[in-house]
Amino acid sequence: MPGGREWIEMAHLLKTFSITPRDFVRAGEISIAIQGILKSVGFGQDVIRRASVCAYESEMNVVMHGGKGTFFLAVEPEMIVMEVADDGPGIQDIDLAMQEGYSTASPEYREIGFGAGMGLPNIKKNADEMEITSEKGKGTRVKILIRAEEESGGAG
Amino acid sequence: MEEQVKNASWDHFVRIHEDLCNGCVLCMKVCPAKAIRVRGGHVARTEGLCIDCGECMRVCPRGAVKAITTGSRKIDRPTAVAIISPVLYTQFGEDITPGDIYEAVKGLGFMDVVEQAEVMAQYVKALELYIREKGKSRDAPRPLISPVCPVVVRLIAYRFPSLLKNVVPIITPRELSAREARKKIAEQRGVDPEEVRVYHVTPCAAKMISIKRPVLMERSYLDGAIGISTIYPEVLRELKARKEKKGEANARNRMVEWAASGGEIDNMEEGNLLAVSGMQETIRYLERIEMGLLESIDYVEFRACGEGCIGGPLTVADKYQAKYTIRKLGRRQRQGLQADVAQVEERYKSGWFFTHWEPRPIGHREQTLPLAEAIRRQEQVEKLRRALPGKECGACGSPDCATFAEDVVDERASISECVFLKRPREKGESG
Repeated sequence: MPGGREWIEMAHLLKTFSITPRDFVRAGEISIAIQGILKSVGFGQDVIRRASVCAYESEMNVVMHGGKGTFFLAVEPEMIVMEVADDGPGIQDIDLAMQEGYSTASPEYREIGFGAGMGLPNIKKNADEMEITSEKGKGTRVKILIRAEEESGGAG
Repeated sequence: MEEQVKNASWDHFVRIHEDLCNGCVLCMKVCPAKAIRVRGGHVARTEGLCIDCGECMRVCPRGAVKAITTGSRKIDRPTAVAIISPVLYTQFGEDITPGDIYEAVKGLGFMDVVEQAEVMAQYVKALELYIREKGKSRDAPRPLISPVCPVVVRLIAYRFPSLLKNVVPIITPRELSAREARKKIAEQRGVDPEEVRVYHVTPCAAKMISIKRPVLMERSYLDGAIGISTIYPEVLRELKARKEKKGEANARNRMVEWAASGGEIDNMEEGNLLAVSGMQETIRYLERIEMGLLESIDYVEFRACGEGCIGGPLTVADKYQAKYTIRKLGRRQRQGLQADVAQVEERYKSGWFFTHWEPRPIGHREQTLPLAEAIRRQEQVEKLRRALPGKECGACGSPDCATFAEDVVDERASISECVFLKRPREKGESG
């Protein structure tokens, strides 16, 4: 994983979005915008799919559990980097949160189809690299890297 | 709202008439493919992007957009077979039954008239077998997508090519009906199946393109399409002329519910099934499926027209009236149409239902650029987009600010077209 924010600032195509916690009306819009950008660039189908899944899961994590959030996107021909940070309550036990099925979502969220405890595991499954740091009471930062294989461009 | 084909070599069957167009922005705004621009006071379409959905036709207040179907003079009825979409049964109100409508169409001089209903019951059974089979496989794409709506299929091939593998490779009821009718007539008359002419009586503006340029098959079994709105006056006249109505024919199930959204999955017994209709909603769901959501769903019935095929551009009755009619007619036919399960299973195994054609994406511009260049282009687009006012007015002639940014970067439009952007007056500019 390229180091820190400096790398992101050096990257080519950059975009920043802000995430509003608990805004379920606009939830998912950022991921759709990112999907659109990656499609217009013309990445391969699998790259777009994996990046979209990661974008959606990390966006929704902030909407559901996080505080005020920021979503950075950096795109290079070889890779897509996403960094999602929020100033929410943080994650108590990261190892536990990475387990499939572990969820702190309230029954209300589960009722509307969220909070199955698949968010972070799903990101891990679809990303080539993932880094998560969290401090209780201060917030969470998730970094995701998707490598773009050379099959992309004409695939789709 | 319908024009009949004179020149079969066109690439599109939804056509914009420049002489009737006053260059307003309505069609440009609704076009889901972003294929329309307003240039020089008229609309111009990027032919490669159009998916023939007919949304433009629906909103045009001047009737400048027309769907092209097979011309009535081109159809020699005594040698032609008509395949009737169940939507036709929803167009005449609750008092006129499917049986009477079927008889009326028969009175119009076609060699044969075939209802899709028979084969639909079989199609549904085959679909259930396919869904069950794929449900057991871990690598099968989820959810599976209905192959029925030709607009959705084109939309997927164009904007969501990664989902082409989700589209069920079962031949649609209209095509199965056409194939079987062609075979039957050819046998009966001792002629070559190629010589039989088969037409679909349809509510759908995209039927012509799905016949002439199919995505899911190498070749269509249909020769052309007749719009319901074209044949409607004739059917009405015939209905009035027929004094005696055949009550008996009305007891049969004609799968009328199929005409509305949800009709395809309503006849299925098991599985997690979802019905989505309307262009915007369809796009939203395809985006979500591409994000790996909805994996708990087995099958999605998409219809690009709101409320399903009763909302098709070539209908006459209002879609909510049609829905009401379906409800009333459905109450009278308690007994569902049953397919012969053993026969379906045998046909399923023999490949009777399947298309073996591998659908291809319909490509477009960006994908020809190398990635590094495409990223630089996108960077410029994003930069310009941030500078634009985001009023989404369309006055520049592009559908929205984001598309305008692309058009400027690709040198299809000039930045000076934006009416909000303050700019230093260029040299030599008049006014």
